[in-house]
Amino acid sequence: MSYLLKTLTKKEEIDRIIRDTIDKVLVLRFGRCSDDVCLQHDEILAKSVRDVSKFAKVALVDVDSEEVQVYVKYFDISLFPSTIFFFNAHHMKLDSGTADHTKWVGAFHIKQDFIDVVEAIYRGAMKGKLIVQCPIPPERIPKYQLLYKDV
Amino acid sequence: MATLEDSFLADLDELSDNEAELDENDGDVGKEEEDVDMDMADLETLNYDDLDSVSKLQKSQRYADIMQKVEEALRKDLDGSEKGTVLEDDPEYKLIVDCNQLSVDIENEIVIVHNFIKDKYKLKFQELESLVNHPIDYARVVKKIGNETDLTLVDLADLLPSAIIMVISVTASTTKGSSLPEDVLQKVLEACDRALDLDSARKKVLEFVESKMGSIAPNLSTIVGSAVAAKLMGTAGGLSALAKMPACNVQVLGLKRKNLAGFSSATSQSRVGYLEQTEIFQSTPPGLRARASRLVAAKSTLAARVDATRGDPTGTSGKAFREEIRKKIEKWQEPPPARQPKPLPVPDSEPKKRRGGRRLRKMKERYAVTDMRKLANRMAFGTPEESSLGDGLGEGYGMLGQAGSNRLRVSSVPSKLKINAKVAKKLKERQYAGGATTSGLTSSLAFTPVQGIELCNPQQALGLGSGTQSTYFSESGTFSKLKKI
Repeated sequence: MSYLLKTLTKKEEIDRIIRDTIDKVLVLRFGRCSDDVCLQHDEILAKSVRDVSKFAKVALVDVDSEEVQVYVKYFDISLFPSTIFFFNAHHMKLDSGTADHTKWVGAFHIKQDFIDVVEAIYRGAMKGKLIVQCPIPPERIPKYQLLYKDV
Repeated sequence: MATLEDSFLADLDELSDNEAELDENDGDVGKEEEDVDMDMADLETLNYDDLDSVSKLQKSQRYADIMQKVEEALRKDLDGSEKGTVLEDDPEYKLIVDCNQLSVDIENEIVIVHNFIKDKYKLKFQELESLVNHPIDYARVVKKIGNETDLTLVDLADLLPSAIIMVISVTASTTKGSSLPEDVLQKVLEACDRALDLDSARKKVLEFVESKMGSIAPNLSTIVGSAVAAKLMGTAGGLSALAKMPACNVQVLGLKRKNLAGFSSATSQSRVGYLEQTEIFQSTPPGLRARASRLVAAKSTLAARVDATRGDPTGTSGKAFREEIRKKIEKWQEPPPARQPKPLPVPDSEPKKRRGGRRLRKMKERYAVTDMRKLANRMAFGTPEESSLGDGLGEGYGMLGQAGSNRLRVSSVPSKLKINAKVAKKLKERQYAGGATTSGLTSSLAFTPVQGIELCNPQQALGLGSGTQSTYFSESGTFSKLKKI
């Protein structure tokens, strides 16, 4: 867990933060602080939170609390850490060549990658788009397999 | 500071039998400044064996008066001083001013006596004068050594640091001087005593002035210290005179003009006078000294003004000034605040700064549309334009090479550009056709009105011109094509 970033555990907190972040990209990380990939991801987030502070806001959501399970189910989060981007209460999709465009699964490799993604989302959102292309080259995008159950 | 010439001046006075010795000493200060360019050739003619001919101050009346007053005042120091009278009329104030003057005179006198001792002692121990620079120390050492040849019998431990004592002993063993005759020795010892007396008198005078400075100018003394305050007052010519001076003048009071003698003046630009000796100044790091000197001068001038009008006899404003100075100097020495990394700017919020200026204009000139191209783009109305390959093929020339524009000419260098197939075919046919036979209807003459020949082309008069000629009766057209046999 990073001490610089806010950790949310209650539904009202999440609602409030999504509602109250105006004209800034909201980055919500769903994960556990004990997981090592989560830790790596959190480290990158913590280092870059000041740099993107003028156009983005970062918060962590602890996936182990009960109130948050609603959101876990809604966003269909199965792998941790998963990062979801919002802009002015709209959910922003990111096409990074993977199967799931609604979220970013895994950790970023370098700080600059995260900053690039946030900037791409910001530019797209300011133009009015709801889905943006990922600016990172595919080598640095974490790959994962989605297991479809009962489909 | 008196020079060697001044001592010779004193001797000159003696030689000219001028017995008004008492008056001279009051005018001593004035005379010393006047006679800077005294002729050194008088050296041989002067005979200054006698100490009294060189050093007259101690025998003067003025000296005796002031010293007596000082001693009296020091004795009754325990009584409170009257502050009721205006400062200038206070007899103690006058005494202070006199004391200042006297201390300067005594200093000059000590230098004269020192020179005297040096000259006499040269016969015995020449190198001593370069080893021991300070006049009073020199006098003490000479007194201790006397006529002794073996320096191990002489104990100099309490006079000098041991390193210098060692050097002196070593040099003494190799010196080529000889023992002094008895009368010369006597004179030398007398001169040493005189020097030491003068020194103690000076110390007494300064001590007196310092003790009184606290009551005369408390605020000023709090900031710069009583000794420097006394010196400043003495040089300025009184407390009110000091108060009337602007701070920039106070800063350079007492500045010693160094004779550079060919050395560069770029390195030593101190511009600080007596204030250099203050505790505040000495304790500031060298980089901040210029700023500190200005600050101290400004505040001390303010304090002097307060003292001149007796606005604050307790000296609290002086303490406040001192505290202010200390705080400011400390602030200057603070390290700059650490730099925080700046957050990135919002994307696309700042419009691109388009830069202008001469450099950009010169760069744009390289890609700008040239005058030639502008003329070629322009076309005259009603007249078909000329082209590089003739007949409407190739590049059009527009107004280039026309009547009015006699500056720009069409060059006959063929264009290296690739021509497309249709144009190439037309060109080729024309080339062949033009080479063997010519159609009777083509005219190869073209006259410009500039040349002034009035041959009118019959086709032009009819309105056909070379353009219509080519299309109606073109040699490359199918109807009138001539085959080569």
